[in-house]
Formats: sequence, structure tokens, C-alpha cells
Amino acid sequence: MKGIKDQTYYEILEVSLTATAKEIQRAYEHAKETFHADSLAVYSLFSGEEVKEIQEAIEEAYRVLMDEALRRSYDQSHFQMVGGQPPEKPSEAQGVSRGKKTSLSFTGLSFNDEEGLYRGKTLKQVRERMGVELQTVSKETKINIKILEWIEEETFEKLPALVYLKGFLKSYAQSLGLDPQKVTEEYIRFVEESKKR
Amino acid sequence: MIWTIGGGKGGSGKSFITANIGICLSKLGIRVVLIDADLGGANLHTFLGISPPGLSLSDFIKKRVSHLREVLIPTAIPNLQLLTGAQDLLNAADSKSVQKRKLVRSIQSLESDTILVDLGAGNSLSVLDFFLMSDGGILVVTPEPTSIENTYRFLKSAFYRRLKQSVSSSSVKALIDSAMDQKNEMGIQNPHDLIRAVRRMDEGDAQRIIEEAATFHPNLILNQVRSKKDIEIGFSIRSACLKYFGIHLHYLGYVVYDQDVVNSIRRRRPLVLENPRSRAAQCLMEIASKLANSH
Repeated sequence: MKGIKDQTYYEILEVSLTATAKEIQRAYEHAKETFHADSLAVYSLFSGEEVKEIQEAIEEAYRVLMDEALRRSYDQSHFQMVGGQPPEKPSEAQGVSRGKKTSLSFTGLSFNDEEGLYRGKTLKQVRERMGVELQTVSKETKINIKILEWIEEETFEKLPALVYLKGFLKSYAQSLGLDPQKVTEEYIRFVEESKKR
Repeated sequence: MIWTIGGGKGGSGKSFITANIGICLSKLGIRVVLIDADLGGANLHTFLGISPPGLSLSDFIKKRVSHLREVLIPTAIPNLQLLTGAQDLLNAADSKSVQKRKLVRSIQSLESDTILVDLGAGNSLSVLDFFLMSDGGILVVTPEPTSIENTYRFLKSAFYRRLKQSVSSSSVKALIDSAMDQKNEMGIQNPHDLIRAVRRMDEGDAQRIIEEAATFHPNLILNQVRSKKDIEIGFSIRSACLKYFGIHLHYLGYVVYDQDVVNSIRRRRPLVLENPRSRAAQCLMEIASKLANSH
């Protein structure tokens, strides 16, 4: 039973010491969704100040754990301090995998970025944070790399017809461990709104 | 194994869930006794499609019958029996601890594998005690602010009551009582503040509180979910409880909003019998099988 200030970054994000980048990403999305200012699950339990403190802790934990060098340094300093052994390297290879989801079995969790929408730059940001090359995604999903670039760069005029785009977005989202339905819906909405403008 | 179903708001579906999970378990060959302890509106019999029963727990307490099994009401469903007598049960829970435990022992001695107690809404001390005395407490919540708010209120009361029961010092007990009031003078806003304050008074009690919190694992069922986003609320409640109380809430599952539920209640026919292929019935069966596996 620890206050947020006493929790390790792993405890803050509710991940194991050997969590992969994909697991950390998913946990971060869940944490952001849970401790959102308007979240039904927290407003009557925490004060606004407490929520803000938790949000900051989540961001900091995510920033450190998603950066291999920072994470290594954190593990070394933290676990030496508490007299334990640094965790083993994550067993699952970092990056995309066709593996089945192992946690939160009856839902895919998702988050909104600050603008509340999955768009090209958000997907790129998530992929880069996970240290995954676009080429790897292309190989994994069998989507032409050019199309993936257009999706990320939001080059709408070059994107394929909607019916194909939906399929590509779904596969791309799955490869990053994101909620395919949410990513597809939000990206398409973003495309449509941009076209109107 | 005694499971209590409580917390949340009236109308969140506790009786509906108790009755239907009870039937699912009995269909799995588990001998089940359902106990209706909903003071606000004891109508578990309606969810089972039977008339208001004549015999109740009070016939046993007033020694009109010699054994508790004589007040059990059989149902048309094999392996499933009903026990009513909410008022007597909760009055007993209000009485001295020895009597409470005696009653619980009598209930445990019934020839059954699982006992499901529908506690109804509210967080009176007697309801809290019964919730805490059972082998597993289940909270039924709908994905609405009022329901979640009431559930947290119930959980907070149960949590602090459990902590209070675990400590020995009377001044620490008084401190826990005060901490229940969010505007307390000591500035205790959450369980972490409480531990810090207790530690200053009695290190042993602080340790006991930490240990007690670590063994408190209530369960959660989310009812009437309409979207994926609603389902996620269950996970968020679990995370919020971990951060706030430091407790591991077990998200047992969810039941989808389904017109078949409304229809089955109107017909006074349990959903899992009336329409076992409906989406809500499938959800209930999944939850029941989790409970069955925890035997």
C-alpha cells in the first residue's frame, strides 16, 4: 500500500519489471484513459490535485520506461537503492509481434492523444516511442511501406479507397497493440474532417 | 463458500445477477442456496418465478423449526434453494459478534456448495459486516456516475471498517472513524494519509493495516454495459482502487445491456432459463463459471 510518490514506475503503470515496449504502451494508454480529468472511474475518489499528481507520475513513468537507456539507468539506480537485482531484459522482442494479446482479455484498451484523436502523426509517435521501424510494420502487416508513410504523413490524396484504408489501418493498429476499431474510426473521422476544411 | 452481493445503487441489478448466477451454478451441478437479505425490497423469489415464501429465517431463530434446512424453500431448479428473512439476518449481523458468527456457521452448515447472499443497496454497519464476513464480496455496478460513486462510498466504508476491526489500539480505532469523514481535522484524505497518521501513533497497528489491506480482494461485476468503452470502465475502477486503497479488486466480468433481460423480468422467468442464448445470459454464464472455478 504505497502512495503515488512511493511507487516505482512499473507500479505506476501496473506492468511487470520485464514488460515489453508493447505492454508498456498498452498500460500507458489504459492509465491515461483511467486518470483522465473526466474519467467516471476517478472523479468521486480522487481530488483534482491528486489526479493531476497521478497524471504527471504516469507521464514520467512512460517517458522513462519507453526509452531503453533511461529505463536501464532507472533500473540500475532504483534496484541498487532498494538492494534488489535489476530486472531481466524483456523476454518478448521489442517491436511488433503477431502474438495474441496476453492481458486484459476482454477488451483492447486505447487512449486519446491531447487532441483526442488517432491521426497519422499520433500513430507515428506511438510507433517511434516503441522503437519500431516502419519497415518492420510493413513486413509484419504486408502493407506497402509507401502506404504506411502516407498514413503517417496524412497524405490523404494518395491514400487508397476507404474500404482498403480501413483494412490497412486495422492491421497497422493491431501490429502496434492498439485498439483497431478506435484507431480506424478516429483516423477516418480525421480524414473526413480535414477534407471538409 | 459464501458470496455476498452488495454495494452500488438500488437498481443496479444485484438481485437479477444473484438469481441468474445461482441458476447457472446449479446447472453446473453445484448445490446452491440463495439468501435474500435485501432490506429495501426482498424480491429474489420474483426473479426465480416463485410466490412469496411462507417460511423464513425467523422461524429458525424463534425456534419454530429445529434446523435451518427446514426453512429452505425448494425451487423448480435442481440444486437450487432459497432462504428469506432479510430482517432477521441483518438484525443478527447488528448484534454481538459471537451471535453473528454463530448464524454464519449455521448457514455454512447447510448442505450446499455455494451460498449467494443478496445484500441489496445501502451501507449500514450490518450490511458491511456481512459483506466482510463472507468468503467473497461482489460489487455490482452500472457504468453511470451515481452507481460508481455509491460503490466507492460502500467500498470505502467496508475498507475502513475492516481496517478498524484489525487494529488493537482504541485511539487508532477512533482515528479510523474520523478518517471516514472527508473533512476531518487531521487532514486525512485517503488511506495513505491514514497509514502515515497511524504510524505516528502505533507502528504495530500501521503494519496490521497494511497487511489487512493486502488481503482485501473484493470482486466487481459491471452490469448493463452498452459499449466497449463501458467495459473498459471496469478496468479503470480496478486501477483506481489500486491507486487509492492499494487493494486488488478482481474484475469478474460484465453483463451487456439486453432487452431480453427486461423481457425475462417482466415474465418472471429467469433469463438464463428463458433465453440462455441471449448475450446477457452468456455473460452471466461466464461469470458463474469463474465463481465455480474458484471453489
